[in-house]
Amino acid sequence: MAMKEDKKIKSPIERRKFIKMLGTTVAGGSILATSGLMINKFVDGEADHYWQIDPQKCTHCGRCETHCVLSMSAVKCIHANKICGYCDLCGGYYRSNVKDLNTAAENLMCPTGAIQRKFVEDPYFEYTIDEDLCNGCAKCVKGCTAFGNGSLYLQIKRDLCTDCNECEIAKVCPSDAISRVPLAQAYKLKD
Amino acid sequence: MKQLSTFLLSILAFANAGAQNLNRFPKPDFESGYQYPDAHYALPNEQLWLVIDIILLVGLMSFVAWAVIKKQTRKPIIWVSIISVAYFGFFRSGCVCSIGSIQNVALAFVDSSYAIPLSVFLFFILPIVFAFLFGRVFCAGVCPFGALQELVNIRNYRLSKSVTAVLEVIPWLYLIFAILYAVTRTSFIICLYDPFIGIFRLGGDFGLILFGVVLLIASVFTGRPFCRFICPYGALLSLFSKVSIWKIQITKQACINCELCHNACPVDAIKPPYENKTKEERLQGVKRLIMYFIFLPLMIGASGYVMHYASPGLSKAHKDVKLYNMLVEQEANPQVLIPIELEAFYSLGGEIHQLKQEVDQVKAKFEFYSLIAGLFIGLVLGLALIKLSVKRSRKEYEIEHDDCVACGKCFSYCPKNTFIIPENLLQADETNNI
Repeated sequence: MAMKEDKKIKSPIERRKFIKMLGTTVAGGSILATSGLMINKFVDGEADHYWQIDPQKCTHCGRCETHCVLSMSAVKCIHANKICGYCDLCGGYYRSNVKDLNTAAENLMCPTGAIQRKFVEDPYFEYTIDEDLCNGCAKCVKGCTAFGNGSLYLQIKRDLCTDCNECEIAKVCPSDAISRVPLAQAYKLKD
Repeated sequence: MKQLSTFLLSILAFANAGAQNLNRFPKPDFESGYQYPDAHYALPNEQLWLVIDIILLVGLMSFVAWAVIKKQTRKPIIWVSIISVAYFGFFRSGCVCSIGSIQNVALAFVDSSYAIPLSVFLFFILPIVFAFLFGRVFCAGVCPFGALQELVNIRNYRLSKSVTAVLEVIPWLYLIFAILYAVTRTSFIICLYDPFIGIFRLGGDFGLILFGVVLLIASVFTGRPFCRFICPYGALLSLFSKVSIWKIQITKQACINCELCHNACPVDAIKPPYENKTKEERLQGVKRLIMYFIFLPLMIGASGYVMHYASPGLSKAHKDVKLYNMLVEQEANPQVLIPIELEAFYSLGGEIHQLKQEVDQVKAKFEFYSLIAGLFIGLVLGLALIKLSVKRSRKEYEIEHDDCVACGKCFSYCPKNTFIIPENLLQADETNNI
């Protein structure tokens, strides 16, 4: 015990204090080093931040409806009117092999009735999606891609998406169609 | 009608599942002057919210730091907690958070192709900078998870020392595994198994919400179970808090060893005075030190080996490896009904040998990073064991700054803070002591 006290007087700083100073220096140094290493990561340009579906890769498996963290998926069907053929017999609107071709619910593809159909002129019909009703199940997308021009497709709506650090749907997407895009490419659209 | 269905079926057979722009039907020429509807989609002002997030983060942390270091009061922290739960928790739905940002930063370190958003990096580094300066002021009430647990906390039933010692290792292991799975681009497990996000979003995975509710109920009776025994970011912050420049003091006056602060502390960070009566001799101490130096590398090596050995098993969580295993099984034993993943793989014209190459790369990565993770696990376990056998003598009640979450509960319990002793009396008291 006496020896210890002797030492205290001799050394300019105590052992514990020295270790603490060392720790502080290491901690401060590591903060600076991390920041320094990271700086050139985002100096280059805008980082990818916003989840979007690549419609070219999408296989309309239906997981967007079930796997989004939101109870009503942030994925909605979007209709590219400029690609649409405005068909009367629409593969996205009617189910295949229906008995009578009328607009009764049992004949329609959309389970929530989100696709609205409006007569334009003979023989063309305009289709629009009611986004509040759409649940992103991709049934219409499947039909449209199989029988039509592929003008119906799924996309993540930016105003609904909570922008999770890791998108739950991206993780289960069978075709890796979901990736982050920079702010400048707000939406990946089909046109 | 039959004709129609056969026609449709023939198209179906012809059509591939891929979603290219298919021009099966020509663009209609409208004669009635029909105009295409304008397509515009709502864009919230995301950049603005990110700026507000960062400003609020810095502002609230500074406020807490001022309250605990300078003013030594708890009241502002309650307000900060309420603001944080309301804004970061419910309004911003808790994403991105500092806890999850560990994974982004870890991934950015090893993967040069990954561009980390500035806001995510700031969420990672700012609480660390504040922990380095003032202690864990982020945990105090700025973190919505900590704040939520703090707000429901009523009683402080203390867990036994042995239970605490075991549970305290979990955050470190969680941190190591989270980084391992992040750098191999497998999954962000911190985000995946977040117990409170379901509560903030008012919906989500049932099991996780249940876990979150159980944690919240537990935190009514004992302080912050998530922060102490699960949170990997807290583990990281504790390193910086331990060596922080300005430290939280229970009282600026002399301690009277009354034990009140110790009882008040929700995270058991205030340690009672302890007199190390069994003085060991110098030689014995040196022997013990040597034992530690032998024991620690052994522990590190062993656990590194175990993790390296386990790496093929760990890599099975990776998406590509899963797909590859499915493919191999399908090739060996073809089934008519194939999973969606394989359907997508075949329809997009995937090549199995190309996938094999990718899988081999993933597995190689896993072998390397599992080894490193194993070394760290050994270090953590070894140090935890060594810590159990180290006794440090204390003369009065002291804060363990790595565990302290700066909640400020001890301030009002300390009689020295409550009763303001007149200057002259205090001086007399001090002279008496000397």
